[in-house]
Amino acid sequence: MIRAAALACLALLWLGAAPARSEQLIVALSSEEVRITSNFTGTSITVFGAIERDAATVSRAEFYDVVVAVKGPPETVVTRQKERILGIWLNSASRTFVNIPSFYAINSSRPLSEVTTPQILKRFQIGADDLVFPVSADAGAVSSGADDEFRQAFLRLKREDGLFRSQAYGVTFPGTEIFQTAVQIPANVPVGRYVVMVYLFRDGALLATDQSEIRIAKMGFEQFTFDLAQNQGLLYGVICVILAVFTGWLAGVIFRRD
Amino acid sequence: MQIYLPIAELPVNMFIIFGMGGAVGFLSGLFGVGGGFLLTPLLIFSGISPAVAVASTTAQVVASSASAAITFWRRRLIDMKLAAFLVASGIVGSSIGVGIFSLLRRWGQLDLVIAICYVTFLGLVGGLMLTESIRAMINARRGRPAPLRKPGQHNWAHGLPFKVRFPRSKLYISVIPIIAIGVGIGALGALLGIGGGFILVPALIYLLRVPTNIVIGTSLIQMTGTMAVATVLQSTTNHTVDGVLALILMVGGVIGAQFGTRVGAVVRGDQLRAMLALLVLAVGIRFLVDLVHTPAELFSLATLTGDTR
Repeated sequence: MIRAAALACLALLWLGAAPARSEQLIVALSSEEVRITSNFTGTSITVFGAIERDAATVSRAEFYDVVVAVKGPPETVVTRQKERILGIWLNSASRTFVNIPSFYAINSSRPLSEVTTPQILKRFQIGADDLVFPVSADAGAVSSGADDEFRQAFLRLKREDGLFRSQAYGVTFPGTEIFQTAVQIPANVPVGRYVVMVYLFRDGALLATDQSEIRIAKMGFEQFTFDLAQNQGLLYGVICVILAVFTGWLAGVIFRRD
Repeated sequence: MQIYLPIAELPVNMFIIFGMGGAVGFLSGLFGVGGGFLLTPLLIFSGISPAVAVASTTAQVVASSASAAITFWRRRLIDMKLAAFLVASGIVGSSIGVGIFSLLRRWGQLDLVIAICYVTFLGLVGGLMLTESIRAMINARRGRPAPLRKPGQHNWAHGLPFKVRFPRSKLYISVIPIIAIGVGIGALGALLGIGGGFILVPALIYLLRVPTNIVIGTSLIQMTGTMAVATVLQSTTNHTVDGVLALILMVGGVIGAQFGTRVGAVVRGDQLRAMLALLVLAVGIRFLVDLVHTPAELFSLATLTGDTR
C-alpha cells in the first residue's frame, strides 16, 4: 500500500518534470541553522537559486515562475469554537487537526492562481488553501475541506500570529535565470526541522523541484533552561523557589531600614 | 530591550515586564497583598499564554511574600504554629489545584474557569471590602471609634471539635476551619496563580479572630510555603514555569514593594482598603465583561499539550 503510494508519487513527480528534464534548480540558503538565543526577535532566511539549462534546451519566450514554500515541523492542533451558554462565552465544539505544519510560508513570483493550474496546486499541496488538513479519527471525517469553518479559523489565526504567511510577488528575478526571495521567520516560531521546497514553473507546467532543510533550535541558556524544565521539572522548580526566596531576602537586606 | 523567554517561547520587552512587576509590587507593598491577582491578567493581556502566566506568577509570589515575611519575622509578628497548620493544609490544596489545572488545560476550559473564579472571588472580596471600608470611613468622620475585638467573643467556627491552643494568637480553636481555609486557599492559589492573601487575611480575621497584628505575617508565611510548593508542582506536572519571566517579575516586584510599603505607611487604613477594594472590583469587572461580551474571535488554537498560543 505504502509502496504503491510512493510509486504513484514518483510517477506524478516524473510526469510533472517530464516535459523538460533539461531545466535544473540550484538552490542555496542564507543559513541552514537559525539559533534562538535570548536576544532572538525573529529573522529572515534568503533563498537564492539559479535555473540551469543544458546547451540543447532552446531559449524560451515565456518567463519562469518560482514558488518557494517553507514548512515548519508538524504539530497536532485543537481548534476550539466559543459558544454562548447561559450568557457566558465558553469553548464548546472543537476539531483536532493532526500533522499540520506549525509554520507555513509561501513566496511566489506571481499569485499562485496565475503560476499554474488549481489541479497542480492541489496535487503538490502548494499554498495554504491546498494543504491537506487531516483531522483526528474521533471527529468522523478523514480530512477537512476548504469550506470547513474550523479550517478557515485555523488559517486565520495562524496568519494573525504570522505563522502562516504568503507573498504573491515575493520571489524576484535579478537576472532572467537567477531568483531570490526572503522568508520572514517571526520570533514566536516553533523549533524543529523546516523543509524548504522550491518549485520551478514555466507556462503553468512544473519543470523541477528542490528540497532542502533548515534547523531552528534554541541555543545555549535558552536550550538549557527549556531542557531542564522539560526533563528535570522537580530540580527546575526547586531552583526557581530558591531563586525567589533569595531575591526576596536580598531585597529585604538592601532596603532594610531598621 | 527584547528578551526571548525560553518556556513561553516568545520575546518580550524586558523593561515592560520589569515595569509591570514594579507597578504590581508597589501596589502589593501599599496594600499588603501578593499582587498575583493583578499580575496574572496583565501577563495574559501582554500575550503570554495563561498556563505560563499562572505558573510564572506563582514563582513571583514566592519572592514577594518571602521578602515581606522576613520583615515580619524580624519583628516577631508571626504565629508559627498557626502558619504550620496553614502551610501543611495549603500544600494539600496546592496539589489539588495543580491537578485541576492540568485537567482543565486538557479539556480546553482553563481560561473559562480562571475567568469565572476571578469574577466570583474578586467581586465578592472587593464588594465586602468596599462596604466595610466605607462604613469605617463614615464612623471615623462621625468621630465614633472602630468596634474593637472583645477577648471572649466567639462565632460558629469556635464551636467545632479537635480544638488546638495557639498561644501566640491567644486562641483555642478547632483545626477544622484552619485546614479548610488552608486547603481552599492553596487550591485557589495554584489554579489562579495568586497568593490568596486578599482572601486569607479577611478569613483569618473574621472567621478565626486572629489578632490583626499577627494576621499579615502569618498569612505571608502561608503564602510563601504554599506557593513554593505550587511552583515545584507546576514545574513537575505542567512544565510551564518560565524562570526568566519570573526572575524579571521578582526583581521588579520586590523593588516596587519597598516603595509601596513606604507610601502605605502614610495613608490611612480605611482609605487604603477602599482603594484596594475598587482595584479588586475593577479587575473582577474586566473579567466579567470578557465573559459576557461577544468576542471578536470565536475560535482559538491549542497545541495538543494544551498550551494556548
